[in-house]
Formats: sequence, C-alpha cells, structure tokens
Amino acid sequence: MTAFLWSEFFQQITSGLAIGSIFASLALALVLIYRTTDVINFAQGEMATFTTYIAWSLMNHGLSYWPAFVLTLLIAFGGGVGIERVLIRPVEHRPEIVMIIMTIGLFIVINGLTGWLWGADPKAVDSPFPNKTIDVAGVAISTQDIGTFCVCIASVIVLWAFFRFTSLGLAMRSVAVNSAASRLMGVRVGWMLALGWGLAAVLGAIAGLMAAPTAFLDPNMMLVIIVYAFAAAVLGGIDSPIGAVVGGLTLGVTVNLLGRYVDLVGEELKLPTALAVLLLVLVIRPQGLFGRVIVRRV
Amino acid sequence: MTAAVKGVLLAAAVALIILIPQRAGEFRLSQFTYVAIYFIALLGLNILVGYNGQISLGHGAFMGIGAYAAMIFILGREGLTATGANPPGWLLEHGMRPIFAIPLAGLVTGVIGYLFGLPALRLAGVSLALATFAVAVSLPLIAKHYDSVTGGGGGVSLPLPTTPFGWDISTPHWLYYEAWATAGILFLVAWLLVRGRVGRAWRSIRDGEVAAVSSGVSSAAYKTLAFGVSSAFAGVAGALFVIQVSYINPDTFPLTLSILLLVSAVLGGLGSLLGGIFGALLLVFLPIYSQDPPVLHFSFSKQAPSVVFGVFLILMVLVAPGGVAGLLRQVVQPIKIGLARRGSRPSRLAKEE
Amino acid sequence: MRRKFWLLAAVASFVAVVSLQSASAMTRLEAATPGVTKGEIVLGGTFPLSGPVAGYAPIARGMEAYFKYINARKGKDGKRGVGGRSIVWKYYDDVYNPANAVQLANKLVLEDKVFAVVGTLGTENNQAIRPFLNQRKVPQLLVSTGASFWGLQYKQFPWTMGWQPDYISEGRAYGLWIAKNHPNAKIAVFFQNDDYGKDYVRGLKIGLGAKRSLIVSELSYEVTDTSYASQLARQKASGADTWVAITTAGTPTVRAFATAKALNWKPDTIVLNSVAATEAVMSAVVRSVGADFVNGTISTAYLKNPSSPKYANDATVKRYKTLLAQYGPDGADPNNAFFYYGFAKAYDMIKLLQASGKNPTRASLMAATTRMNWVNPYAIPGVKVKTSRSDRFPISQIKLIRFTSPSWTEFGSLIKGR
Repeated sequence: MTAFLWSEFFQQITSGLAIGSIFASLALALVLIYRTTDVINFAQGEMATFTTYIAWSLMNHGLSYWPAFVLTLLIAFGGGVGIERVLIRPVEHRPEIVMIIMTIGLFIVINGLTGWLWGADPKAVDSPFPNKTIDVAGVAISTQDIGTFCVCIASVIVLWAFFRFTSLGLAMRSVAVNSAASRLMGVRVGWMLALGWGLAAVLGAIAGLMAAPTAFLDPNMMLVIIVYAFAAAVLGGIDSPIGAVVGGLTLGVTVNLLGRYVDLVGEELKLPTALAVLLLVLVIRPQGLFGRVIVRRV
Repeated sequence: MTAAVKGVLLAAAVALIILIPQRAGEFRLSQFTYVAIYFIALLGLNILVGYNGQISLGHGAFMGIGAYAAMIFILGREGLTATGANPPGWLLEHGMRPIFAIPLAGLVTGVIGYLFGLPALRLAGVSLALATFAVAVSLPLIAKHYDSVTGGGGGVSLPLPTTPFGWDISTPHWLYYEAWATAGILFLVAWLLVRGRVGRAWRSIRDGEVAAVSSGVSSAAYKTLAFGVSSAFAGVAGALFVIQVSYINPDTFPLTLSILLLVSAVLGGLGSLLGGIFGALLLVFLPIYSQDPPVLHFSFSKQAPSVVFGVFLILMVLVAPGGVAGLLRQVVQPIKIGLARRGSRPSRLAKEE
Repeated sequence: MRRKFWLLAAVASFVAVVSLQSASAMTRLEAATPGVTKGEIVLGGTFPLSGPVAGYAPIARGMEAYFKYINARKGKDGKRGVGGRSIVWKYYDDVYNPANAVQLANKLVLEDKVFAVVGTLGTENNQAIRPFLNQRKVPQLLVSTGASFWGLQYKQFPWTMGWQPDYISEGRAYGLWIAKNHPNAKIAVFFQNDDYGKDYVRGLKIGLGAKRSLIVSELSYEVTDTSYASQLARQKASGADTWVAITTAGTPTVRAFATAKALNWKPDTIVLNSVAATEAVMSAVVRSVGADFVNGTISTAYLKNPSSPKYANDATVKRYKTLLAQYGPDGADPNNAFFYYGFAKAYDMIKLLQASGKNPTRASLMAATTRMNWVNPYAIPGVKVKTSRSDRFPISQIKLIRFTSPSWTEFGSLIKGR
C-alpha cells in the first residue's frame, strides 16, 4: 500500500464532494417529486439526460450558454408538468406498484428516444464555469467542481425557502400532507402535483447540465448516477431535501475513500460496499438521516 | 373465475404444453423452455410482490445467484480449474449432474433470500425498493470480484447439455420437459401455499399489516418466508437458465433483467399465479419478434426497439393495470354472470383472491 | 370493456401466429446447405444495437450497407451479389448480454438458417455462442473482438475465427515503443477492469520486457464508475510521466482525459488504445481539454482513417463515403470509424464467399479461411490479410499513429503483431 499523504486524502475528499454534488442535485429532484406526489420517479435521470440533450441542441444551433440554459429549464418545466398530467395522473390512485411500472416505462421510452434522436456518441457540453484548476496545498480543485457544488447548495436553499416562505410552497406542502383537506381549503390539488413534477424536472435539468461537462453527454450519462442519487435520497430521508444533499455528498466521499483506502474492497466492490453501508444505516434508522418518522395509527 | 372455468383453462394449458414438442421446431421448443423458466421466476416474484405486497427490484439477481450456484455445483472444483479459474479448496471436487444441481441451487438461493429478508424487515416501501435495487446492481460486481469461484468477467462456459442417464430422448425435448415439469411442480407448491394458511397470512399482511399483526399474524415470520420462497423459485429458474444457455458471466444477469421481471409480473397480472405465463410469454417473444416481426416485413423496431417496448408498457399500464390476467378476469366475469343468470341459480360472485 | 377484449384478442393472436409459424417453417424443404439457395446467401450476427455500448452499432449497419452495395452492383463475373446470390444480412440486438447472444445465435442457426455467423461483437458474447456453433458446425467468422483466443484456440474450436489484430499484440507494440523511445519513463497504466483491459496490460508488459519495472502505477476503472478522480489522483501522486490509457471509445476516454486535466496532471507521453482513437472521441476530448493536452498522443491503427487528410483522395475512402451515403442509414456520419470498420469487414467476408467455390458449403467456406491471402483496400497500405492452416489471425499487422489535432498521422513502419 502506498504511503498515506494528507494532500492525497484531501484530494479524494474534494473529488468526492464534486461528484457527490451531482448525486445530490439529482437526489433533490427525486425528493421533490416524492414529497409532493408520493411517487419515486425512476425516470428522473433520463428526463435530466433528455433535457441536457435539448440544451446541447440549442447550443449547437447557435444559442449561447445562458439563453440555452434558461430555455432548457422552461422546456423541462413544461415537460414535467405535461408528463404528470398525461401519464401520472391517470394512475395516481392505483396501487404503488402500478405507478412504479409507469415510471419504469417512462424511463425506457425516454432512454430509447434519446439514443434514437441523438445517437450514441458522446457530445461535449460547455460548462458555465471557467475551465481552470486551482491548486490548494497540493490539492487540485477545478472551478467546474466548485461551481457544481455551489449550484447544488444554492438549489437546496432556494427549495427550502420556496417551501417555507412562499404561499405556493405552503400549498404544495399541504397537498403532500393531506390532499383532501387542502382541496377543501381551496388549493388546486391537481396543479400542485403538476407543479411538483415541473419543478423536479427543472432540478433534474440543472443536475444534467452540471454533470455533462465532466460526466459527458451520452444517452446513458445518468444511468449510473441515478443509482447513487436514489441511494442518496433514501439515505438522507426520502422526503428531506437537506437529507438528499447530505446523502449525496456523503456517498460521493465514501465511495472515493473506500476505493482508495480499504484494500479489501477493491475496484469492483466500491459500489456494493457503499450500498451495503447505506443499507446498514437504514436498518438502524429506517427513516434515513433526516427523514421524518411516520407513525402508523390504527 | 369459477373453479370449472379455471379447471378447463388448466387442462387446456397442460394439453398445449404436451402437444407443443410434436409440432414445434427446435428453436421454438427452446423458446418455450425459456417460457417455463421465466414462469418459475415470475411465480416467485408474484408471491412476494402480488401476494405479500413487498417490492423487489432485485429478482433477477436472485436468479443470478441460483445460476452461479448451479454452475459451481455442476462443474465442481475440477471443472472450474479447467476453465482457468482458481477455485478454493473447500469446494466439492467433482461436479454433479445438472438435474441434482437445480434443487440444490434453489435451496441455496432460498436461504440467501431468507437471510436477506431478515434485515429487510426494518425496511419498507422505498427503502426496500432501494435494498432490492442494491442487490440487483451489486450482484454483477460481486460476481466479477470473486472470480476464483465465478470465473470473473470472462465468465464460464458449461458443457453443452445432454440427456441424463442415457434416456432415449433428444436433448432439446429433455430440457423442455425438465423445465415444464419443474414449473408444474413449483406451480403446485405455490398454489398450495397461496390458498392455505400461509397465503392468507401473506395477503392479510399485504392488505393491512397493522390489522394483520393485531390479529396475531407474525408479520416478521411470514415476510421473511415470502422472501425465502420467492428467492428459492428464482434460484431454480436461474439454475435451469444457466443449463439452457450453457454460459454465465456477470453481464448475463444485469439490472435490466430484474426490471423486466417486475414489469412482466405486473403485465401478466399480479395476484394471479397464472398471470406468470403471460408475463413469461411476453419476456420471451416480445424482444425477439419486435426485431423480426413474423408477419410485417419491415422492422420499425430496429431504429428504436426500446421506445416501442416502453410505449407498449405505458399503454398497458393505462389501459389494463391488472395485466393480462386482469383483462381475462374482466372479460370472463360478464360471461359468467350471463351464464349464471341464464341458469337462474345464485351465482358465486364471491371475489376471489 | 370491449377495448380490453380486443387487446386480449390481439395478444392471443400474436401468440398464436408466432407459435404456428414454426409449423410452416417445418414444411419448407431444407436446403442442401443451410443458408445457401439459388438466389441468396443468408448471413447473421448479433450486436449491441441498444444499451450502454450501442456506440458499436454502426459496425452492423456498415456491413449492411456494403452488402446492399454488393447485391446491387454487377461484379467481375457480370453477376450481382456473390456468384448471382444476394447477401441477406440478419443482425439482431443482444444489448451486450451473452445470454441474449446465445438465444439469438440459436434463432439464427435454427430458425433463420444462416449459412454463417459473422462479425458478432463482444468477447464474452462470442465465447458464449462458440460451443453451440462449433457443435453444429456453423462457421463463426470475423468476430468483432480483439481477444487473442479466437486465433489461439483454433484446434479446439475449428469453426471460429477472428479478424482484427488482437489486444495483446497492440499492447506489445506500445510496450516496445516505450522501451525504445522512453527507456527511463515512469509509466502509469489506467485500464478498464475486464478481459479487454487486462489483455492490453499483459501485452504492454510483454513488449516492455525487462523494462516492465518502469510501471509505477497500474489502476483500473469499472464501467459503473461515475468518476475517475480517485484513481487518477493516485496516478498523479505516483509521479508518472507516461500514461497508458486503455479506455473504451466514448465517455470513458473523454472522462479520463478531462479528469487528468482537472487534477492538473499533464503526462509528457500519452498512449491510447486504438478503439478510442477515433475522430468522434478525439474531437470531444479536444473540446474538453484543449488540443495542447492531447497533441502527441500515440495509438495504433490497421485500417485507413477515413477522416484523415492523408486519405482524402484515396479511391477506397472516397468510394466508402459515396456508398455509405447511398446504402447506409439516413444521416450516417462517414467520419464514424465504426461504419468504416463494418465496410472493411464486409469486404473480407465477400472475398471469403467468392473463394468458397461456385456452390459454397460450410466446409468450403472454412477451407477458404485457411488460405486467405489478399490486400484489403480498406486497410493501411502494406497490411495483408493472410491466414494459413496454423495461422488463424487474418490481420495482424499494425502501425503506430500520432495525434496532432484534428487528426492522426501514421509513423514508423508496419509492426508484426504475431
């Protein structure tokens, strides 16, 4: 085993935080949908990839980064709302398993569409952040990673503020807690659910645009990331945005450190070990790190 | 559906199963062998998800465990060494006949599934989904890592199957009958479990765990039993699968398989054991014939096969969320009512299952 | 309600049609040689047309385009196709899953009754179908993988043969080059953790010979890794100045380079495996890390590079572009090296069929594979397609190439792989 260097240790941590931010961003989208509509959207990653391709197409057709970015978010919002109203609404009251199959079907369709429309070769997507690397005491930190991290933190703060301080956020929260009572209070429940999906799609689009410069845009970009994002979301507490971020960052760092310092684990077992650790946490604390305990009353 | 209708359907199915080998070509026969294999897997999945209400996104991984176990039993230490792997000393020296490896692999997988079910008791809903998802994602990686027993990424080729004991029957026929006989036995087992006390306990847990516990049903015991039983079924299916394919490596049991099994179980119809047949038919025939449709000569699916499959899936969910079995039930019910009315006898409209 | 009845009826009839189709298949007279009739030769193969490695799909489509061209044009004997027989090319999607490959190979042989299985992609996929095909005495030719055992195990599996230079040879070429040109290098090897990557490392060490101790870091990545920062940080920390990257075409390569750059690590010498040394990948790499970072990267090639200015006026390359536009899928990008690879392979398959006699049989086809001796115009000048009874590696010569954005340039002389 090579010598333990502090600079290398911190390098592993910073890299872990960088990739963890991407997990966290996608996990946020998952949490948002779950919290507002009680659905685990397996297609979240594919929706994110699809919207990132749209951004790439726009940029390829001459739009510069920020206009393309904003337009993509708008399209993502529309797409999310549309999917909720057309596909999710009809099966809302069916057993949970049916909803799961619906989102799986969505996953398959969007993944196939992406490959069909744009092909399998990776596309380069520009980053909004300058492509520089700073050296801090032997640890190389790229501005891209700092940017991704900041965007992730900003997202969770904006989301938190939205739920806490705006009437729309309050309405969405009330629908999640008790939709019948909310309806009696005059909340347009249907539109709140659609809004949840729309916002989650926007978050997913942001996650995709953050991921594309380093993960590289190909139809399967989010395939592995969604596994980590799902794990992060559940670890943090499936209904807690803060949990999603903490979960994502923790997972990113843990996988890196496990792979580097625990020789027993080796390359192949990095992911299974991280998942096992995660499941252990869940067995001890089933609601996740920041989740609320649901008490079932008879 | 009344018992009479069910009986007729069952008899028809058995007759079909016996008749197919007379008319089918070798390839079609092998496809129906795969139908039997997936039917066994789906029986297990249906028990867990349909009758017991727990979710599993990792059923394919349990098939994989059964397949690897069967491979190790069939090859033994000497066979593994011959393929270039470096198996540990505690493995049995000699391999055994595939026919004996199958139930053994099922047993091993059942035990592993049961052990998995124990900590899984603490998880529910989303967390359980993640846990089974984690198993599905991890299996290929674990198989790759422990290459001294699994052959690693390069995989292991099994000797091509032959009819055992020198019986005078062609190998494809033997494999077909072996798979369907196993399917028949396991269907009987599942049917007995489901209609008995165990099945009632499972269903009561599914329909309301708190109420079930209040009624004295030991939720922990039955839930772990469900995991064990469903994994055992998957293990048997995996063993038959690896014998049929004669090759195994981590890529043969990817996450996609677990997803497809769950999808097929739902499409076939949860809460109905026979729904597994439809699911299995779908699993075997749809991917191949959407690429090479028998009647249409252009294959629109070449361009985007998954889009077609996904759209089909979404349509089925929207139109027939009870799956094919649910459709059947809805079609047969009015006929049954009509017949009953004609006979002017009180019809048995008791809701089954 | 009625809707559901019709849906059920549709499913039932689909099942019935499919089951009954076998009956009609049985009544058709079996041709004397499966897959060869008076007007057709049926060939088949399986490829990852969807899924994570769908990037290789253009191989099958390139082959399809070339076969279509052969069927349309009049050959030297005045007949279309091969000796008047059209090539029917049946290829299926196996999603890179060997179990699917086995089932599809069964379909190809038993239901589609192909003459030969050609070009199937993937080491494990071919491994999985090899016993069945050899048992049924079906040729398994020109497999799309550079594993060395197709050529090495021909005595055990006489019906199977590879096509391209194998990975060990390529790794060896890199080892030799480094040992000769950078005898004091500190080498870091970064490879995909499977038989593909491991073969290269094996070859590299053989080529380095005594200088094998120059390797200071040997780390791998999994296809499921989302970031290589962990491994590459270690490689940077090892002080290596030479980087051998065995990363497959597509995202892994682009990501590896981008990560190295992000870690502020610029090795003096970079070696990249040939599969990734394509236009599409390199342009994405350049876009991400800049040309300065990658200029000077070494790789190898055995086919002409259709995007290289050197071959802009080459007759074969020009014809390839025309044929691809005419017979290939809409919007096919001629710079996608996999289409070109498909053309090159299909060319050799047609030559084999032409060398199998007026009425080809599987035996005569296999006999033709023992006497291959021609020049494939798609290959780099000087490369010969040559086999014998004991040499079952059709193409084994390669040439080193160096990257100077935006294209690769050949240098040095042809290297013998085996």
